[in-house]
Amino acid sequence: MSLLSRIRGTLKSLFLKQTLDRDLDEELNSYLDLLAEEKVSAGMTPEQARRKARLELGGVEQVKEQVREQRLGASIDTFAQDVRYGARSLRKNRGLTIVAVLILAIGIGANTTLFSTVSAALIGGLPYEEPDRLVAGRKSRDGAPAGPVSRVDYFDYRDQSELFEGLALIGTNTTQHTVTGGTQSELVESAPVTWNLFSLLGLSPALGRGFLPEEEAMGGAAVTVISYSLWQSRYGGSPDVLDSTINVDGYPLAIVGVMPAGFEFIFDADAWRLIDLDGPWDQVRDSHSHWVVGRLKPEVTLDQAQSELDAISAGLQQLYPETNEGKGLMIVGLQDFMVYSIRSSLLVLMGTTALVLLIACANVAGLLLARGQRRMSEMAMRAALGASRWRLVRQLITESIILTTIAGALGVWLAYLLQDLIEQVMPMGDLGVNPPAINGGVLLFAVGVSIATGLIVGVVPALVGTAVHPSRQLRSGVQMSEGIRGMRLRGGLVVLQVAISVVLLIGAGLLVRSLVQLSTVELGFEADNLLTAGIRIQPSKYPSAEERSLFFGSLAEEIETLPGVTSASLISKPPIRRPWTDWPIWQEEQGRPMPEDQFFVMARWVTPGYFETAGIPLFRGRDISAQDVAGAPQVVVISEMTAGTLFPDEDPLGRMVGIGWNDVGYEIVGVVGDARLNTVERVVPALYMSSAQMGDIRMGLMVRTDGDPSLLVGPIRELLRQIDPDVVLADPTAMTTVLEDSFAGFRVIMLSLGSIAGVALLLTVIGLYGVLAYNVSQRTREIGIRLAMGASQTDLIGMVVRRGLLLVGLGLLLGLASAVPGTLLMRQLLFETGTLEPSIYAIATLILGIVAALACLLPAWRTTRVNVVEVLKQE
Amino acid sequence: MGKGKADLLRGTLDLLILKTLTLEPMHGLGISRRIEQTTRGVFQVQAGSLFPALKRLEQEDWIEGEWGESENNRRAKYYRLTTTGQRRLGQETDNWAQVTVAITRVLEAT
Repeated sequence: MSLLSRIRGTLKSLFLKQTLDRDLDEELNSYLDLLAEEKVSAGMTPEQARRKARLELGGVEQVKEQVREQRLGASIDTFAQDVRYGARSLRKNRGLTIVAVLILAIGIGANTTLFSTVSAALIGGLPYEEPDRLVAGRKSRDGAPAGPVSRVDYFDYRDQSELFEGLALIGTNTTQHTVTGGTQSELVESAPVTWNLFSLLGLSPALGRGFLPEEEAMGGAAVTVISYSLWQSRYGGSPDVLDSTINVDGYPLAIVGVMPAGFEFIFDADAWRLIDLDGPWDQVRDSHSHWVVGRLKPEVTLDQAQSELDAISAGLQQLYPETNEGKGLMIVGLQDFMVYSIRSSLLVLMGTTALVLLIACANVAGLLLARGQRRMSEMAMRAALGASRWRLVRQLITESIILTTIAGALGVWLAYLLQDLIEQVMPMGDLGVNPPAINGGVLLFAVGVSIATGLIVGVVPALVGTAVHPSRQLRSGVQMSEGIRGMRLRGGLVVLQVAISVVLLIGAGLLVRSLVQLSTVELGFEADNLLTAGIRIQPSKYPSAEERSLFFGSLAEEIETLPGVTSASLISKPPIRRPWTDWPIWQEEQGRPMPEDQFFVMARWVTPGYFETAGIPLFRGRDISAQDVAGAPQVVVISEMTAGTLFPDEDPLGRMVGIGWNDVGYEIVGVVGDARLNTVERVVPALYMSSAQMGDIRMGLMVRTDGDPSLLVGPIRELLRQIDPDVVLADPTAMTTVLEDSFAGFRVIMLSLGSIAGVALLLTVIGLYGVLAYNVSQRTREIGIRLAMGASQTDLIGMVVRRGLLLVGLGLLLGLASAVPGTLLMRQLLFETGTLEPSIYAIATLILGIVAALACLLPAWRTTRVNVVEVLKQE
Repeated sequence: MGKGKADLLRGTLDLLILKTLTLEPMHGLGISRRIEQTTRGVFQVQAGSLFPALKRLEQEDWIEGEWGESENNRRAKYYRLTTTGQRRLGQETDNWAQVTVAITRVLEAT
């Protein structure tokens, strides 16, 4: 059998189908004739012979169908036929088609959206050359990740490693600077990077050059690379920028390059400064302020590189035991590192969205089951005409796949519309990964989900709907009421939907409760009527600590004279707004502890009166005073938590402590209440030094007001312009707004999960209503008879409601039981809320119960509209 | 089927049809009657199995159909074995012999 003749056969059967059919007809007729002739010669009358022959043949149509199935290419043919037939039947059932398509489109659309987001964030790749070879490094302590890396350690790793094409460093923070000169002073943010970072990412500046290796060794090369947007806004995009210098905090830096538009790596910085052998941060091995970024050599695996780093770490531990005991460098893929903060939220959302699709599937499967019931006669007719069971099943499944394909197309469109929204609430660009897009992979996903959905919703209804006995079905002539099997299946689907909805409602409820907990948490300071802003002064204008503290001191006094101001003071980092700066503190007489035993607390420096302005209670001792200036004895005020850890059973007042990395002792002069400094979620221990003894040029302004704090932004700006026009007031914001912003990410997750749960609830109610309404319509006759037999309407309503509540009750039980382990997955997202919070379980049950009861009532009420006489007359 | 009549093994019908056609070209009913006679009624070939098999063999180019006249001057489609069909029959017959020998051995090996 040659391939050629096979192809010829296929083509023939496709194109010459009609000719072949006619030929077969003729042949079968002649067969019948011959058969009849045979019987006549055996002694039958022609009529008898004809009848007998027909019986023996077993139906011309059946034989033809069997031959057709036999044909090569028959499958292609039947497929086209199925599609045509399916489309016609869907058009005929327009109402059901629209409802089913909409339900599935919501499910598929939501999943496509989430998938495009998740794939962009977790697997989509970074917008850099060969991103798979890029890694990020963190410090480890005894094998566990332990935050940033020391710059001094980094140089050792870079010099000794051989499996990396390059190892670079970037600071964990940006720094704000005042840029003076030109038409106006402004604030810019800079990120410190090593010279090789840009080339390691595979990027080169759009204009000029990057940093040079020899500049690293110069010890303070006065060069900078600026961002495209700063180039546009401050220099009008002129190429002359490369000849100019930029006055940063009073020091001139030569602009050597401009990065391409849109480049941001970890930070959205305006400029990049060079990390060199001297600084800017981490002068010693136990100060850690950087992240490592590396590019593996081709073919090198993460594990191989990690082993090499472990070996280097072991060497460093031996050489510097006092700082490097137990310390290592741990690498992960750069993308994993960058999306770490949103990873768990995304996975929870993806999981819940998949559950919504499951509900949608259950819903549509229920609809198809009900329709299958109504099409029993049609199926019986087709079976009688010679269609095999397999053929009918295939037909029905084709129909549901058409349904889900349309829904899939709609879903992709929906995802396309939702894309902007997602980009707004989850700004992925800020994380440095490629923003989500509807690309080939996502389309493939949508197509796959559509087909899979079609199979899921189609198979069971198709099997149930074609389990017909032609003669019995056709003889009965009327629609038979739903079989017990179909009823159970549809009931089961509702139970499943209710269960999933309950789990989602509980999940959303737990998040709502977490947000309530967050917004009512005891902060330790008074957030109402409090204005915060950043203030930067020019170090060249105020070179000494005395001059700086004089400036800040008089600024606070002048602001306090403004009407509406109760008090004003300054702190190095306002709470929540600017986190971290954790320094070790120890009892001076015990000496500096080993690195792993160090007690880290948040270090802040404040002007006198800060605790009063912030509303932090002073428990013992005194506030920082105007006498605590440079040259006077160093003093510190500690928080209660610091006191409790450092001096568990003693009075800390008057004790001497060591702080940070200098060798000066500080006297504890006061103990204040604990406050949340980094995040709203956690109280952290703190110490407060005198800003006059620190001489910082960057401070945070805190102003307590009588009324709306934003009203004072104008007057304070005006005041600053009079005192010193080069001083910039950065980002004045009410503390309540700062807090709201810090919840923003959390709120997004909560809203997303909330709306997902809402959609799930809606779909479930539709499903429940559908099952009950269908059930009532099927039982009209039974209801009529019951009414005729004297059943009261209450009995009948009770009958329907009982069935509805039974399904809901089972679903609730199943849902509550699965929520117990299910919500454990989102434990990380919760705040001061246990996953077993009884009130949330109760509320979710209540909401679902009420909504479900409503869904039962309408079908139940319909039983009262049954007209006994008419129903019985129909028989 | 039942009542002393054996079920046709899948593919066996093809073999029987090919073998039957070695004698002379025959129409559908003729083939089915001939098989019935030679097997003494053990195999009764129904139209529902016969025609799909005929079309299958025709597509494989093992037999060829042609319209002709029956003994009583009726139009009927006569099937004839092609050369590829003859070759095929040879292979099938060998296979069959091997299979029956093998099966018999299994059955006798108590």
